[in-house]
Amino acid sequence: MTTTLKPYLSVVKHSLDAAICISQFYSQVVERHSKPEIEMQTNRELILTPMLISRNERERVFIESSINSIRVSIAIKQCDEIERLLCDKFTRFMMKRAENFFILRRKPIAGYDITFLITNMHVEQMYRNKLIDFIIRFMEEIDKEISEMKLAINARARICSEEFLKHF
Amino acid sequence: MILLETNNRVVEESISVRIKNALAGNKPENTNIFISDYAGVLFHISNLEGQKNQLRVSIALKFYTELQQHGATELLNRVYGSYVTEPESGFNFSLLVDLEKIPNDWELLVKKIGQFKRNCFASVFEKYFDFQEKGEEGHKRAVINYREDETMYVEAKADRVTVVFSTVFRDSDDIVLGKVFMQELREGRRASQTSPQVLFTHKEPPLELQDTNARVGDEVGYITFVLFPRHTNRAARENTIDLIHMFRDYLHYHIKCTKAYIHSCMRAKTTDFIKVLNRARPESKKSNEKKTISGRSFIRKD
Repeated sequence: MTTTLKPYLSVVKHSLDAAICISQFYSQVVERHSKPEIEMQTNRELILTPMLISRNERERVFIESSINSIRVSIAIKQCDEIERLLCDKFTRFMMKRAENFFILRRKPIAGYDITFLITNMHVEQMYRNKLIDFIIRFMEEIDKEISEMKLAINARARICSEEFLKHF
Repeated sequence: MILLETNNRVVEESISVRIKNALAGNKPENTNIFISDYAGVLFHISNLEGQKNQLRVSIALKFYTELQQHGATELLNRVYGSYVTEPESGFNFSLLVDLEKIPNDWELLVKKIGQFKRNCFASVFEKYFDFQEKGEEGHKRAVINYREDETMYVEAKADRVTVVFSTVFRDSDDIVLGKVFMQELREGRRASQTSPQVLFTHKEPPLELQDTNARVGDEVGYITFVLFPRHTNRAARENTIDLIHMFRDYLHYHIKCTKAYIHSCMRAKTTDFIKVLNRARPESKKSNEKKTISGRSFIRKD
């Protein structure tokens, strides 16, 4: 882990720890409904001040919290065309499987690549610290995976072209 | 399998099965097979006028008239000699194999028929390689629309032959991957001294084609091969044709393979992430099921 990644992740971890302080809250608009307030945005009193943690201008995490739900949006590093392509494919691939991911939002919020939506139901059903670990792990591995795939593409292209040209 | 084969295996196999069958003295079967190949090529293997011992192999290429201008028919006549027959209607060229008069070296014949498509392409290259060999300049550039919106240009100079492929990347992702491949292809020369020079332009045609109506656009790529006499001489010629006429298919095949590989990587990683997330869920409570001494389930009914 590089020296700048560690403090970044630890800040995200602690901020998430503080943000996931949510409890059951019934909707003020629809009777006997409980909706994630961060998505509804019906009452400003229920929304907390969002936090933006950025490592550099491309990599950042945006945490929006409310009384019964939080939204964590992650912008993944994308330096060039291939990384953009891979990141786009990867996040799309995951979001298509959002029902298996429980906390994954089907669409990222504008300006970010992937968004998680954690509600009080999730926190009641799952271990809070493990949930946070998952998000941290995800942030760690997605960068690694994208750069690995990029290397694989380059290696493949090289082998193919060398093989082709060798036969002349 | 990194390199694609230049022959068509299905054609080869279906013919050799029938020849073997005939050699073993079995009754010939009815044959009517359509086989498609790269670049929209269609093969048809059938019986001539219901005679089961007459096997006709026909090929249809959309751009055969263009190839004909460069001597495709002559080349095919030269290669297949006595096997050539009247073209089947709707097809461009036909061969006829008589299952009662099978030559001893029939395996060679089957190989040759497998190279049918390649031999159609070969005429253009051979013609221009000859021009280069004789040092003739000023011949018109050959233009072959080998696929819809994709074109091949061949031009001969006294010291080299340039082959330009235009290729269309239908998917926006293919453009990105295609660029990576092109980049490596340009640098791939370092691996082998004998390889031709490869140039690549994206969006706009290379300078040679500036005055033509070559396509311009975000999805178009142009690949130029500069073939020197060491590639076009009589000894190396066949090999060069084999490689260069497959180039477009080779490139696109590997782009597709890369995408498939990326996809499998993502699938693996995604299941990995799901596993991590599932660890956050408490283990489901152990079932209260107990076994009796004989192994049957014991369910307490409170």
